[in-house]
Amino acid sequence: MKPPFLRAFCALLLLLSANPSSAANDRGPVILAAASLQDVLAVAAVEWARQGHAQPVLSFAGSSALARQIRAGAPADLFISADEDWMDIVEKGGLIQPRTRADIAGNQLVLVTPIRQPAQVKMGRGMPIARALGSSRLAMADPDSVPAGKYGKAALTQLGVWTAVSPKVVRAENVRAALALVERGEARLGIVYATDARASRKVRIAGIFPAWTHPPIRYPVARLRTSRHADADAFRTFLLSPKGRAVLARYGFSAP
Amino acid sequence: MSSDIYAALSPEEWSILALSLKVSLVAVAAILPACFCIAWMLARWRFPGKLLVDALVHLPLVLPPVVTGWLLLLLFGMNGPIGRWLSDVFGITLLFRWTGAALAAAIMAVPLMVRAIRLSIEAIDTRLESAAATLGASRLRIFFTISLPLALPGVLAAIILGFARSLGEFGATITFVSDVPGETRTLPIAIYAAMQMPDGEAMVTRFAILSTMLSLGALMLSEIMVRRIAHGGRHVI
Amino acid sequence: MGVAMSFDIDVSRTVGGRRIALTVRTDRPLVALVGPSGVGKTSILDMVAGIIRPDRGHIAVDGQTLFDSDAKIDMPPAERHAGYVFQDRRLFPHMRVRANLLYGRRTGISVDMDDVLDFLGIGHLLHRWPRNLSGGEAQRVAIGRALLSGPRFLLLDEPLSSLDRHRKSDILDAIDQIRMRAPILYVTHDIGEAERLSAMIVTMAGDD
Repeated sequence: MKPPFLRAFCALLLLLSANPSSAANDRGPVILAAASLQDVLAVAAVEWARQGHAQPVLSFAGSSALARQIRAGAPADLFISADEDWMDIVEKGGLIQPRTRADIAGNQLVLVTPIRQPAQVKMGRGMPIARALGSSRLAMADPDSVPAGKYGKAALTQLGVWTAVSPKVVRAENVRAALALVERGEARLGIVYATDARASRKVRIAGIFPAWTHPPIRYPVARLRTSRHADADAFRTFLLSPKGRAVLARYGFSAP
Repeated sequence: MSSDIYAALSPEEWSILALSLKVSLVAVAAILPACFCIAWMLARWRFPGKLLVDALVHLPLVLPPVVTGWLLLLLFGMNGPIGRWLSDVFGITLLFRWTGAALAAAIMAVPLMVRAIRLSIEAIDTRLESAAATLGASRLRIFFTISLPLALPGVLAAIILGFARSLGEFGATITFVSDVPGETRTLPIAIYAAMQMPDGEAMVTRFAILSTMLSLGALMLSEIMVRRIAHGGRHVI
Repeated sequence: MGVAMSFDIDVSRTVGGRRIALTVRTDRPLVALVGPSGVGKTSILDMVAGIIRPDRGHIAVDGQTLFDSDAKIDMPPAERHAGYVFQDRRLFPHMRVRANLLYGRRTGISVDMDDVLDFLGIGHLLHRWPRNLSGGEAQRVAIGRALLSGPRFLLLDEPLSSLDRHRKSDILDAIDQIRMRAPILYVTHDIGEAERLSAMIVTMAGDD
């Protein structure tokens, strides 16, 4: 009864233990990237791999969560943050390799609303956003930590409506989670990047936050101190190259 | 002395703790009667589909909490069938509200609570119930004077375990009601949010210590209750 | 119908392939069931009390039908008013002796509490917990609880076990008196007890 099962089990163990060694060469560098880069980096990675490189391993989350992992010693190669603040913190911690930091793209901040039950609000100083929400909520990334949320809070503060609207804010772990809440109609309004709004067919842009309302949105990349992968810098360079820039532009990202 | 303890947490942190306690208490109180009924059914009745009911009750224990939260969102969200009904008929909104956090916590506590109560019901010596019947007691009287008091240690254990589980509930809650400070920002969600902040370390530490103490205390208390069940079952003289 | 029978029992039940059966029809107030252990004496008491259901037959005590499979009569145990003293006593562990004794009290019961406490010698135990009673004390409390419920008839399952000799003879005297008021079905493995009570003796034997 037992031996065949045992044999199968042992074979499975062998298979599993053999796998990493054979796959090690095929594994590309590990990239920790802000959630808003989800679609575009996947495409960039494929394009880069087509040039004969191993496919990079992509991990997306809020920049704050990624910074936390890096500070805890996560073994990764590149970090792409959605703002300069988190990159500064990681850099001050001595966790990136010197002279590897550079901005790969810029973005815009927008107000989105579900296509099926849209809310109307005119962008501007003292805009009646709380009234437009009614009993619903404003979804945004955590304004205390996640870049998209911090930009959003800065913008609403500049427009003089943050105090009025902050009790109606639903804080998401990252910008894509905030987008999902608007897509499902659970929140009537949300603050996301222009590129997120473009990526979704279920929301439309209700207004674009003027650039003067928030710090410039830039995505810095840097190679991490723990990086060991030989190809890590090649991918970083690719993102900064005209080819990489073209991919980013295709998805609506602006030049930094 | 007491002012020292009070000063250990900031007013904002105290309100997070208070919200957590409120959510957990309401969750346990709301789900307890249902848990008792289910536990009674599973312990005492034989019916077709019992295996399915048993599996369903345990589902939140093994299902990824995100899935539970997502299902709650589908059902109780603004566009969910139950959520819309509740809001149209009663004007009740669960989404992004503390009541929604309580619902998520309650669902996640069901398996633990049903299990604890069921064990204590199964430990009841049914011969005592038949003895009460020969003494003229109605089914209702037997239930309230014999069965329920004898199951009480298990019910208390269930309350404590469910409460502790609710205090720690994170995955289903954040998926269902997200993070709304003052409404759904319970202890674990506050810890998670603080972890994302550059200077959140101290708050994380305080909350982590607090959570550990609460959970440890609850587990020890429920263990004492469970022991009392084990002894209670042998008390037939 | 003539004189009411104290016991008119004709039942059978098959448990795990073993058949338990009894036929008794008598107007005598005290019937002793004797026989080796495992023959099903306790099961007969359980059937009369209504705790378990016979496969077929009928049970009537003091002229009242408690069970009749043909007539589809099956009175719930709570309405049979049996004073059942279990061999394992079954005192309620979460109630003090006093609450145990009063559990079966109904309005309009003529049995006097003090009398019962007195002749069972348990007046001093009222505030004790069952777990703190000796075997003999627990037995007497169990008898007291049955009597105080104002039973129409008594079912006694080895009521003298774990009593000392002195107390045994007291209880036997008490049983002697009670039978004037209510019929008794008495289970024992000691035929001497049955003879001492000058009971009608029914011997049960396994039919394997």
